[in-house]
Amino acid sequence: MSEPKDTPFLEVRDLKKYFPVRGGLLRRVSNVVKAVDGVSFSIPAGRTMGLVGESGCGKSTLGRTLLRLQEPTSGQVLFDGNDITRLSKRELIPERRKMQIIFQDPYASLSPRRTVAQSIREPLDVHRIGSAAERERRVIELLDVVGMSPQVRDRYPHEFSGGQRQRIGIARALALNPGFIVADEPVSALDVSVQSQVLNLIADLKRDRGITFLFISHDLAVIQHVSDEIGVMYLGRIVETASSEDLYKDPKHPYTKALLSAIPIPDPTRKRKRIVLEGDVPSPMNPPGGCPFHTRCPEAMAICSTTVPTTINAGTDAQPHEVACHLFPG
Amino acid sequence: MHASAQPLLSVKDLAVEFDTEQGIVRAVDGISFDIYPNETVGLVGESGCGKTVTGLAILGLIPSPPGRIAGGRIEFGGRDLAALPEHAIREIRGRDISMIFQEPMTALNPVFTVGNQMIDVLMRHRGLTRAQARSGAIEMLAKVGIPAPAKRVDEYPHELSGGMRQRVMIAMALSCDPKLLIADEPTTALDVTTQAQVLEQINKLQDEFNMAVILITHDLGVVAETCGRAIVMYCGNIIETAPIEPLFATPRHPYTAGLLHSIPRIRDVKLAELPIIPGRVPDLLNLPPGCRFADRCDRVRPDCSEARVALHRDDGADAAVACLHPLVHQAGESHV
Amino acid sequence: MSTSTADVVAELSRGAVRRESIWSKARYKFRRDRAGMIGLGVVVIYMIVALGVALGLWAGNWSDVGGGKWGPMSAAHWFGTNVIGQDIFARALYSTKTAFEVGLVVAVLSTAFGATLGSLAGFFSASWLDEIILWIMGVLDSIPFYLFIAAIIFAMPDSAYSMHVAMIATFWTSVGRLVRGEVIKLRSLEYVESAHAIGVPEFTIIFRHILPNTSHILIVQATITFVAAIKSEVILSFLGLGVKDGMSWGLMIAESTQEVLAGFFNNFLAASAFLFVLVMAFNMFADALQDALDPRKVS
Repeated sequence: MSEPKDTPFLEVRDLKKYFPVRGGLLRRVSNVVKAVDGVSFSIPAGRTMGLVGESGCGKSTLGRTLLRLQEPTSGQVLFDGNDITRLSKRELIPERRKMQIIFQDPYASLSPRRTVAQSIREPLDVHRIGSAAERERRVIELLDVVGMSPQVRDRYPHEFSGGQRQRIGIARALALNPGFIVADEPVSALDVSVQSQVLNLIADLKRDRGITFLFISHDLAVIQHVSDEIGVMYLGRIVETASSEDLYKDPKHPYTKALLSAIPIPDPTRKRKRIVLEGDVPSPMNPPGGCPFHTRCPEAMAICSTTVPTTINAGTDAQPHEVACHLFPG
Repeated sequence: MHASAQPLLSVKDLAVEFDTEQGIVRAVDGISFDIYPNETVGLVGESGCGKTVTGLAILGLIPSPPGRIAGGRIEFGGRDLAALPEHAIREIRGRDISMIFQEPMTALNPVFTVGNQMIDVLMRHRGLTRAQARSGAIEMLAKVGIPAPAKRVDEYPHELSGGMRQRVMIAMALSCDPKLLIADEPTTALDVTTQAQVLEQINKLQDEFNMAVILITHDLGVVAETCGRAIVMYCGNIIETAPIEPLFATPRHPYTAGLLHSIPRIRDVKLAELPIIPGRVPDLLNLPPGCRFADRCDRVRPDCSEARVALHRDDGADAAVACLHPLVHQAGESHV
Repeated sequence: MSTSTADVVAELSRGAVRRESIWSKARYKFRRDRAGMIGLGVVVIYMIVALGVALGLWAGNWSDVGGGKWGPMSAAHWFGTNVIGQDIFARALYSTKTAFEVGLVVAVLSTAFGATLGSLAGFFSASWLDEIILWIMGVLDSIPFYLFIAAIIFAMPDSAYSMHVAMIATFWTSVGRLVRGEVIKLRSLEYVESAHAIGVPEFTIIFRHILPNTSHILIVQATITFVAAIKSEVILSFLGLGVKDGMSWGLMIAESTQEVLAGFFNNFLAASAFLFVLVMAFNMFADALQDALDPRKVS
């Protein structure tokens, strides 16, 4: 495996995605949902960043906004140094070859009316890569990479199980040889005994092809296996980023700690003190002032309700561990 | 442990069938188990194993054109629930046995306030007046940890968050003091932090109300933290049952062991590759003869495919396993 | 892993019946619907009749005057003859071709037009394009049908197809609305997002990915429009706004208004019977088709 390069492959700078809420007779904008509220991070080539958070934290929106499947409200996204937010729709099309996405719902991610081969071949057709014969060969090759036999090429998605459909979706995402893949909850909808199969496949792809991944999930156990770095999101912001060892061994942000302690562990002998948070996740339409987490934080202080904490590096330069919390004034 | 007590619920050879366009599917294929008072039992398995159908069958909620109870008995309070007519089961539902479901939004009627729905239940089963039922409802909401219950009682389901709606469902389910609560994937649709709150609530209430709980779930972590005993199902059969610690430490059925190994969990040391169970669950219309796990099992022998393997209970033990070649563990060995 | 009872059945069906697609399931269900099968059979018979007329195999003599005035039912003239001696049965058979022609042209074109505009409106919903299309649909729906048709026919007096144009211009809106609703729903599914991510241009996404997934709606709407077109033609011809060349049941019924006063019912009965049986059969067929394709029952 080659060493990751120094220049980050993907760099996100202060990305924001706000959704206007229209109401009233004239459908005027009455409110704004701040789904992604100023997110910055970078991923070196060949590494995997895990993005974890609960529902409503904005992680899926972030994944889609990165690829401009949703248009960012502001901010920059740089692939290998090129800011793709500045490109027109036309200029974006060839760039799309470098970045692909795998979805959560295996039942909705393949068009029911197209065969497996048609779905996998479509990216090649759109970008006019290779001759028809070469595209066919590539389809078979990709099916093999994801562990499926060439005979499935003429079947329809409804003939397959969730795990198999997910593999087909992965084959399609690989067709253009992208350098970057956003995996949006790729195993959440699968049975537990199948999740590991697909996770192993993703880990293999990462290792064999050096693909950079952004792996989005709500499940910290799933994310640990595939990620090098992990970012924790809450209400549109990243509250902590660390290498995957550091996050689990030494979580710093109170939300991260609560999240880790809330995960049920399949081991009845491990009795531990559970941090049970009070209250519910606030609505992204009405985020609390100051630190978004302060309404539920067991360690909240006076300053937390008035000032947004800045992100500081509580680790070292070699092994950064960033956290946005007033407990770490930096 | 339980040998002297009388079971609260006794399921014997229960079978449930569904008519589908390609034939009859036996979603539950002759299962038997007992539930004792005040215990929390996990009914565990993956999708299609029959655990939800079992829960629905106990309360006579199997949708009747395609499905039906095709055999067996469900003994509760001296009667066979499987043989009771609809009006008799209706008396039991909500009063002696209650059920809560996975999606609180669809289980609560969106056009009625939360209070209305609870008052309905209380008036019907306990014969209270509206005013009494209303104060009973407020009390229940407080008991399940909903803040400002007097205000919430007049709110509509869509005004509450997912976690709160689930608690309202629990409050409704417990309002008539049932002896048995069937909870079908109650926290699967919730965020993990909310899940922790709701599970804690269920534990607390179970103590307070002295009831038994059947917790239907696919999440072994949830089972480990809330249940005293677990029943593992695969493809319509029970393949293992055991008290919780031995089940996790020394699983005997290869499927249970495989499941415990392959579920993603936070590990101290990252593995190069996650263990998996190869293959997939067989099609219920095309079941192999003999053990249904045979084609995925790494301990399979020729006799496994010959005939149905029955659940075999060791004498005097609380545990049982349906396997001809179960795993045997050395003393002191643990899989966790 | 859901627990509502309908979902339980769907989950089981999904696991057990994995090889079925919406169409094969529909075929299976449809075949078991006796009313639907009978309806289909009758429609097929009518279709063969219409085809035969178009190919000149029979009813070529529909305009021959030869029998006596108001001749009774006889071996030579199964339904008798009309006031100028034409064979009523032949005229009724000929009208079958007219009916199918109107029905097919209107059904196919209005469905195609409605699908196109509806999918554009749905895909770009809440944009100016959607607003315009919705506005047009609203305006067209507010104009009383017969007034509108009369106006169009007035505006195109010499065209043989003015009636067809008028009907297409009115009927496309219901297809358009249904397709728009379905497209709005489908647009947010992941396979559409995936196509975006691959770089498929938007119009290709609409026509290659989304529209084929509305075909169950389109088929049902087409059959409904077919019947509506035939029925409208009868009334229009009755009012003199309909078919000009050739013969149709509506014209026969118009003719017969004087005749029934004189006590001669054959004309009226023949036309009405043919019409009634076809519409009834088609309705039975369309109902069964709709049930068979209902996505809630075919999950």
